[in-house]
Amino acid sequence: MPNVPISFDTSWINPLTERMQEDGPWDKWELFKLSLEAEEAMAVHDFDQLQCLKYLPLLSPFPHQLETAKRVLLEMRGRAILADEVGLGKTIEAGLIMKEYMVRGLAKKILVLVPASLVIQWTKELHQKFGIAAVAQKKEYMWRQHEVVVASIDTAKRDPHRRHVLDIDYDMLIIDEAHKLKNKRTRNYQFVKEIRKKYCLLLTATPIQNEMDELYNLINLLKPGHLGHTSTFSTNYVEGKRQSKNSEKLREEIEKVMIRNKRSDGGIQFTSRRVQSIPIDLSPEEMTLYEGVTRFVREQYQTGLGVGGFNSLALITLQREVCSSKEAAFMTLYNMHQRTGEDSPLRTQILELVEMIKQIETHSKAAKTVELIQQINDKVIIFTEYRATQNYLQKYLHDHGITSVPFRGGFKRSKKDWMTDLFQNRAQVLIATEAGGEGINLQFCNQVINYDMPWNPMRVEQRIGRVHRLGQKRDVHIYNLSTTGTIEEHILKLLYEKIDLFEMVIGELDDIVERLNLSHSLEDNLVQIIMDSRSSKEMALKLDNIGHAIRASKITKDAVPLSEAADQ
Amino acid sequence: MQQQQVRQFVERYLATFSAHILESHPDYFTVKLPVEVDKDIGNRPFYWSWVDKMNLAYQPLVLTFTFHPDCTPEGLRSEHLHLGATRMQQIFSSAKKHGSFVCMYEQQGGLLGNAGKRRSTPLVPWLGMNLKVSLLCDKRRDILLYLGINLHQPRLVTDFTSFLFSLSLTPAIPDYYYTLDRKVTIQEALQMAQLEVEHTLEQEDQQWAEEARTRLSEELAILEAYYEELARREPENEQTKAEETEETEQPEAQSSLEQEALQPEPDPAGPASVEQPISFDEYRASGGRILDFLRTNGIQITPREEIQQGEWKKSTPDEERQRRKDELAWQYEPRIEVSFINGGLFYLSSVPPLTRSSKAKSMRHLPASGRIM
Repeated sequence: MPNVPISFDTSWINPLTERMQEDGPWDKWELFKLSLEAEEAMAVHDFDQLQCLKYLPLLSPFPHQLETAKRVLLEMRGRAILADEVGLGKTIEAGLIMKEYMVRGLAKKILVLVPASLVIQWTKELHQKFGIAAVAQKKEYMWRQHEVVVASIDTAKRDPHRRHVLDIDYDMLIIDEAHKLKNKRTRNYQFVKEIRKKYCLLLTATPIQNEMDELYNLINLLKPGHLGHTSTFSTNYVEGKRQSKNSEKLREEIEKVMIRNKRSDGGIQFTSRRVQSIPIDLSPEEMTLYEGVTRFVREQYQTGLGVGGFNSLALITLQREVCSSKEAAFMTLYNMHQRTGEDSPLRTQILELVEMIKQIETHSKAAKTVELIQQINDKVIIFTEYRATQNYLQKYLHDHGITSVPFRGGFKRSKKDWMTDLFQNRAQVLIATEAGGEGINLQFCNQVINYDMPWNPMRVEQRIGRVHRLGQKRDVHIYNLSTTGTIEEHILKLLYEKIDLFEMVIGELDDIVERLNLSHSLEDNLVQIIMDSRSSKEMALKLDNIGHAIRASKITKDAVPLSEAADQ
Repeated sequence: MQQQQVRQFVERYLATFSAHILESHPDYFTVKLPVEVDKDIGNRPFYWSWVDKMNLAYQPLVLTFTFHPDCTPEGLRSEHLHLGATRMQQIFSSAKKHGSFVCMYEQQGGLLGNAGKRRSTPLVPWLGMNLKVSLLCDKRRDILLYLGINLHQPRLVTDFTSFLFSLSLTPAIPDYYYTLDRKVTIQEALQMAQLEVEHTLEQEDQQWAEEARTRLSEELAILEAYYEELARREPENEQTKAEETEETEQPEAQSSLEQEALQPEPDPAGPASVEQPISFDEYRASGGRILDFLRTNGIQITPREEIQQGEWKKSTPDEERQRRKDELAWQYEPRIEVSFINGGLFYLSSVPPLTRSSKAKSMRHLPASGRIM
């Protein structure tokens, strides 16, 4: 072949010559055949056909994931930004590409840089799903000793690790959460730029294309000069910070290095969500308590902070807890009691409330929950915001012969996995106080009970997102418990009816929240409305208004030209 | 490789080591690993350095392999074997390790001729070599070559291995046969093989290499243009100065906190701590941990490379440009690697068919073993 250098392996000559001189030792004929057969099984007979699937019999990737892997291999030549929307399986895509290059013998030394919290999860997934012997970097020697290393970028960039990393030629570099590298002046950016690499994948879910500079910087990490020099880029493409010109041309250029699959592209089928509000009537005693607490909270809130020694957070918490369970409210009341002075008049007030709690013998919400679980007769996840409620529920369910396991944010990773496992194989119910816990997959369950409602819509979405994701094969049923005549009912009305939260396409909420910068302010607004309103009518009206505002912004999706440029 | 083939492969592999199959079921089997196999695929180097050093009796590893993910034996720890399984790759390497060089003699069927006539038959020495020719750029394709070289009278045939498989071969020279001299040296044979590889490559489609070169030069052009403009617009010293000032604005407080948390633990087998060879008993007596002993005596730990741990400096635009150019060449530059799969000496009385007919050429891509996997 003209001018293509050929390197001919001659390492076999000496061992063979020695054996010829000594007449042995010779290997067995059968092993000779097996060795050849193994080599034949692994040989790559085609430049362009995906090889990795025959090594992954247990993995069934989605069509868009396979398509992405092929494009990265054939068109982008192994250097790409994978920018799928959340939940479409970027990790799977990256794994497929990685495996393909490994199978082809084109990548051996691979570095995966991820946030510290994801190191274990990545390692595990590469093992389980792709049979890649990845190790989580813990000690210095590991950089050299192991072929596939998963590490946190914050460790890798520091001495002595940095020296190792910058000294190694990596066949492949993968960076998760790459949008954190958007600023070229940060140390992380500089560090990644210095790493020697052949293939490179940058994974990000954030729609980085909204910020022209950030996008430019990220692409420059991958292929310096692909979009020209900064100033050329600005002249050619940038109108304003978030405005592009020559969108068509820019889109073409971006498409050469970036793939962004979207849910709305179709072809990716999500099952539907079936949302149901379960109204619950409180018993007279429970209602007395609710009203008592509400009055107490509002008085304390309005008489000014600092006077009684309670901060607003404690008061709001109490208000929310009383909607959840009397146990949750009791714990907070108890703590408040301990904190007030011996002779404070507040003490008597608090004791009165505690007295009300003692009067209550029923627990309408828990009773309804048991009824619901029995009716569902399948795996159920119950979400609550409060530990006290969680403990109480577990006992209550146990008393009614329902098996359950708890799940908390504070659990260690191994305990979380263990609980997930128990839930999958032994228990009917998982009672969780948090929706987070990246990488905890609960798709085998499709029934969710929101025992109480978070006031932040993103948290609601995170809860549902645990089960309603790629891989969920059944429709997802969501039951929202709402006690009639309480704040809970209002909040639910807002989230459910006004914002249509539950019917939104997954991911759409991210956009809205981000655009309106809502994630904190919505919760703050709610608190203010609830505390300041003099009557429940006033409160209802104000909540209504918020709902309208969000609705409006949802409909008039204001022009974000650049995101269109990269997205279409 | 279909699951059926995977299973057959593993069974044949184990059989060559006379492994004891404890239980065989249509969906799985349980095997007691022989020593050589355990060392290759057992994943217990610590155990082995322990047993070897202490001269202990070996406790065989018992493994159950399943071949269908859904059919696993009840109450048994089992392992699903398939082409991509790590264990399967270990079995492959083990087969390769123990199946590299053979020496075989042809044995003509039937005792008729030789025994009766008491006349010896000559055997011609052949060098058989199975080669993998890999065409590499940012992609890869392999071509397998099965060459045979007559070492008595220089001659080369292709598809030699499938011819071998049609013969009856034995590892010891049969009675009433004698071998002819080797007149061709291995070096000469190597040259013949190299010529043959070149000849084969000439007949291959060259497009892949041309395309790779085009891609490379396009990428290089973009890169050059970019760095030229960079040099023109941002004179070096100015740029680095600006960025250094930015660097100091990094929130140091937080990172030093993290640093503490993330500092690696001191290496138990630190470089100089237990360098001198001491006996195990002495070591134990002085309170050392067994694991550390094994580490220092048996298990290799990558030595701390001699790398400068001094202050780190950002590369200059020139260095960066050079690095990117190197990366591009590394990624795209077409090249060919010929690796040796296995080979050996074969003393044959049969004559392999002449090759390089059109049929032989099309055959070349078929596996010699006749198994399509």
